[in-house]
Amino acid sequence: MYRLSKLRFGFPVFLFLALFLDGSISQVFSVQMFRYPTAMVSHLVVLWLVCGVLFEADDGTFDMPLGRWAAVAGAVFDLYYTGIFGIAVFIFPLVVYLTRRLASWIRPNFLSGLLIYFIDITVVEGLGYLASRAMRLNTGAGSAFLVNTLGPTLAFNLAMFVILYFPIRWVYNWLK
Amino acid sequence: MQKFSLNRRLVIIIVCVIVSFALMTVSVTMRNKKSTPPLIQQFGNDIVGLVDRVVAIPTNGLSGSVSSVSELLNTYQENQQLKKQVSELAQTKVRDQTLAKENKQLKKEMQLNASLTDYTAVSAAVITRTPSSWQSQVVINKGAAAGVKKNMPVMSGSGLIGRVAEVNKTNSKVELITDNNDSSNRFAVQITTKSGKTVNGVLSGYKATTGQITMDNITTKAKLAKGDKVVTSGLGGVTPKGLYVGTVAKATGSDYGLATKLYITPATDLSALNIVTVAVSKQ
Repeated sequence: MYRLSKLRFGFPVFLFLALFLDGSISQVFSVQMFRYPTAMVSHLVVLWLVCGVLFEADDGTFDMPLGRWAAVAGAVFDLYYTGIFGIAVFIFPLVVYLTRRLASWIRPNFLSGLLIYFIDITVVEGLGYLASRAMRLNTGAGSAFLVNTLGPTLAFNLAMFVILYFPIRWVYNWLK
Repeated sequence: MQKFSLNRRLVIIIVCVIVSFALMTVSVTMRNKKSTPPLIQQFGNDIVGLVDRVVAIPTNGLSGSVSSVSELLNTYQENQQLKKQVSELAQTKVRDQTLAKENKQLKKEMQLNASLTDYTAVSAAVITRTPSSWQSQVVINKGAAAGVKKNMPVMSGSGLIGRVAEVNKTNSKVELITDNNDSSNRFAVQITTKSGKTVNGVLSGYKATTGQITMDNITTKAKLAKGDKVVTSGLGGVTPKGLYVGTVAKATGSDYGLATKLYITPATDLSALNIVTVAVSKQ
């Protein structure tokens, strides 16, 4: 099924679009997003991957190589954006795996999807924080991370989920 | 069977964590030691950078047009203020030209080719910003092909904003002063006090709560006052002399009370960057 559909080419195109939009949004709205005390980090690429898992579970016949594409997106993220290889390249596939497990326990719909995405963003930001602390890229305290980064980031990304859930579902259905 | 699969999963997780840490350590070390990333990474980054422009140019253009509409609203007032400044600037510029000419002649006479103040400015547009809260980093559209090298200082508006952290052929990453990692904001700077004394030092960090750059361990008896200008001193490396950093906001005793600690207000807004200038030194 996957091989024959438009998704085979459409999925990576939208994946990279989301990846580059993350950077462009951060650049265009840098005053609003990165001025102290808030640091909102856009994770549209994670949204696209998570939605892939959610809508893949919609009809059971559709298996996409999401883990592989997540690793590719993570590798590009690491090399192009941060310059430090080995963080997102593991976190993104982990998120896909986690979402698949969660989606197998709770039937994904809009609200449970929101819950799953909440957990995913927490994992992405939390592991990213731990990794960057371990590599001494940042020296911020854990409490500062929770208040200044994780809170605003969750707020921003959940808002994006609410806004983009139905458009992305439409895109997936169009590509299928 | 259940137990086996659990064990296998654990092994996979541990292996992944180890590999991840190994890769991170290797890339951080390479970033610190080498002047350019490995060829494959450079090549990949160049291609990704080219593709990114397809997305970045329209979005940046869109934001540019939106902000130009909002700027149109206070154009009249701004214009009046700026006209006054321009007439003053013309005077300064002429004097600057004369001095530069004289400087050149004197250098020629002394057979001095390039001094610490000489640099060429390479202007570049910001393509994108790292979507991460601890890496204040932007990607600019000039790289090794335009003469950019690692560790070169980058300016925007009137002041210093950061340094080049990684150079590819056609794009490079700039680490901003606001980034709080160990190496991003160590610039050698000097302050000329009102009494004419020069104080040398090194920038030591960035205080996010007040938006000020800090400068620690100054052991001088010269009196530093609020408003003293801080410029790069050109000592020790590729940073040319005389790049404007900011003004002194506050001078206090340092953490251990022996030396002076300075807070510096940066000369430019460090969060809104569109066009930056890389100072390519001639030495």
